[in-house]
Amino acid sequence: MQTQNRLILTIVLFSIFLLFPATGAFSAEPIKIGAPLSTAYLYGWDAERGIKLAVEEINAKGGANVAGVKRPFEVEVIDTRDLEPGVPVSEALMAMDKLILEKKVDFIIGGPVRSEAALAAMSLLSKHKVISILTTGALNPKYHALVEKNYDKFKYCFRIHGEAKWLVKEILTCLMEIKEKYGFDKLFIMVQDVAHARAAGKILGKVAAKKGWDVTGMEVYPTGTGDFSMGLIKVKKTKSQVISIWMDMPESAILLKQWYDMKIPALPFGSTLAAAEQPGFWEATKGKGEYCLANVVNAGNAPSNATPWTMKFYNAYKKRWDIEPEGLGSASSYMAVYVLKDAIERAGSLDPDKVIAALEKTDMEGVYGRIRFNPKSHQVIPSFDPKEGAVGSIFQWQDGKRVVVFPKSIATGSIELPPWMKSDK
Amino acid sequence: MEILIYGIINSIMLALMALGFALVYGISRVPNFAHGAIYVLCGFLTWIFVRSLDLNYLLGILVALVLTGILGALMYRFVLIRVRGMNISEIIASYAIGLAILEGLRYGGFKGTTHTLPVFVEGSIIIGDIPVDYQRILVVLIGVLLVAFLWLFTHYTRIGLALRGMAQDERAALMLGIDSDTMALVAMAFGCMLAGLAAILLLPLGNIVVEKGYDVLIQAIAVCIVGGLGSWMGAVLAAFLIGFAQILTTVYLGSHFQMVVALLAIIVTLILKPSGLFGQQKELEERV
Repeated sequence: MQTQNRLILTIVLFSIFLLFPATGAFSAEPIKIGAPLSTAYLYGWDAERGIKLAVEEINAKGGANVAGVKRPFEVEVIDTRDLEPGVPVSEALMAMDKLILEKKVDFIIGGPVRSEAALAAMSLLSKHKVISILTTGALNPKYHALVEKNYDKFKYCFRIHGEAKWLVKEILTCLMEIKEKYGFDKLFIMVQDVAHARAAGKILGKVAAKKGWDVTGMEVYPTGTGDFSMGLIKVKKTKSQVISIWMDMPESAILLKQWYDMKIPALPFGSTLAAAEQPGFWEATKGKGEYCLANVVNAGNAPSNATPWTMKFYNAYKKRWDIEPEGLGSASSYMAVYVLKDAIERAGSLDPDKVIAALEKTDMEGVYGRIRFNPKSHQVIPSFDPKEGAVGSIFQWQDGKRVVVFPKSIATGSIELPPWMKSDK
Repeated sequence: MEILIYGIINSIMLALMALGFALVYGISRVPNFAHGAIYVLCGFLTWIFVRSLDLNYLLGILVALVLTGILGALMYRFVLIRVRGMNISEIIASYAIGLAILEGLRYGGFKGTTHTLPVFVEGSIIIGDIPVDYQRILVVLIGVLLVAFLWLFTHYTRIGLALRGMAQDERAALMLGIDSDTMALVAMAFGCMLAGLAAILLLPLGNIVVEKGYDVLIQAIAVCIVGGLGSWMGAVLAAFLIGFAQILTTVYLGSHFQMVVALLAIIVTLILKPSGLFGQQKELEERV
């Protein structure tokens, strides 16, 4: 009797196997995405959320079509800790090693987040021939310059978010709009002592001076600085009207609180300013950050209608994570997964060379405009017009809301001054 | 003028950060390397009580301080007492506790820049053309009062005198019936509460982040080494030296070098006078 039961069970199982062969959506081998991110920091966790949201959406539709086989994505997140004080590059590299050698990921999306670590990881990616799409944090122009200079070695490296040189151009254009509107011409620069911020601060100083701005000073603050009073007094004494801030350290919140408490008559303009990017900033500072400008690098990280996909992404993110996209890394990380899916489908394979060729030919309308890579440098092509390229986003805190004020093509409001400042016009 | 005003503010802030560490070491000779973690933990505890549980601000502060003190006592009673007298083990054990607290907080979701405490008094005044916010003025006032309180406490109360007795000569104190372990436990609890008090006064100036724990520990160690390990009055004086040196560095050399001052002070002190300004440890060897 028992033998008969076993026989029936075997026949039933065999029939099920024959009726439903292993060609279903999730029976195929998943495509593994490694996400090396500094997860304790804004630019890390928002990227993680962006990647996971895109993966969930894609998997819900069956995954990526690789030569006729639908394969789901699988994400492996690892904490690189590279945004911590001291910039522990070695830890980030070990995390990358682990993803590639132990976890055997097919692609890398996300970080390393700090430029120093991202630059150091380039050789590692070449050595293992793993394609990486940088989506958050690292803004140093050297990254794509190295790809262009040594294409054969670094062709595996792509960057889908803005970089410091373009950011400087955006900020300068925005500064010229401020100059035009309010007659301001004195700029003070405050940067964090990290590679991208130092480089960008210097470039901005030089270019702004050429455009008629009087650059009254530049202060470099080590990561972890907890007091900015002397720098702010310098701002006041030099009668500066705009403070350009390049800081992703949490302590930048102290700077903004001090600015408010001391009523410094200069507009704080965060070129990267992690503390002011988050929606929770308003509540955390009880409105002390009002009038602060912040560049979130790409549209979609703050609410706007850059493309039909922008608010669709924005609302999907909010629904999934119960919070709005918080800053740099959200939209670009989400977009990178879709761009990779598109490239894999066109390549019909996971072969790195074929996927690189497909990525270089990417041309799609994304969350923050038209997404294309420069085929020589693998840097996303930026623009002030979302129909032409990846568009940035600068917002100002106004009455508890992040109001996009630049570029004009996607702006939902205009720049305002705090009550203790007066227009020079 | 700004050097004088912000020099005093910076010095008092450093003194507040270091007093707890100096007190614990002075009495029990235990270098509490969990000091920075306790500072951050007290900030987060207050944040939980005030922001999440909607407790009255003052009540939230008091509960957080008491809990911090209890944690300090527990740390001594269950961990540090077993390694007391073994310097390296004390450092490793206390640092491990600190690390567990900080990384535990991070793991528990306390990350980002949005954890803040409200300032006690809003607004600012202009002193000789220099704007200063009321919270910083309050920090100076409370800092001065705290130093005065500590002096009175250690000179006119039974526990304070017992603590001083321990700090001066533990064996003699034992002969006079002072229980060494109980006093070390009290010192640890008191030191942790001082770290917590510093957090409650200083964290409203910015936000509460885990990384601050490491920074506070380094600043406290720098102040204590320069002032002389074991001397809390030396710590106050060293806080003024380092505090003014940091402000002068920012003004004349650039803010870039501000963080180097504390580390440089440690190196210079260890080379020139390892016992520090008022330290008793190794003083005899130095004289010989």
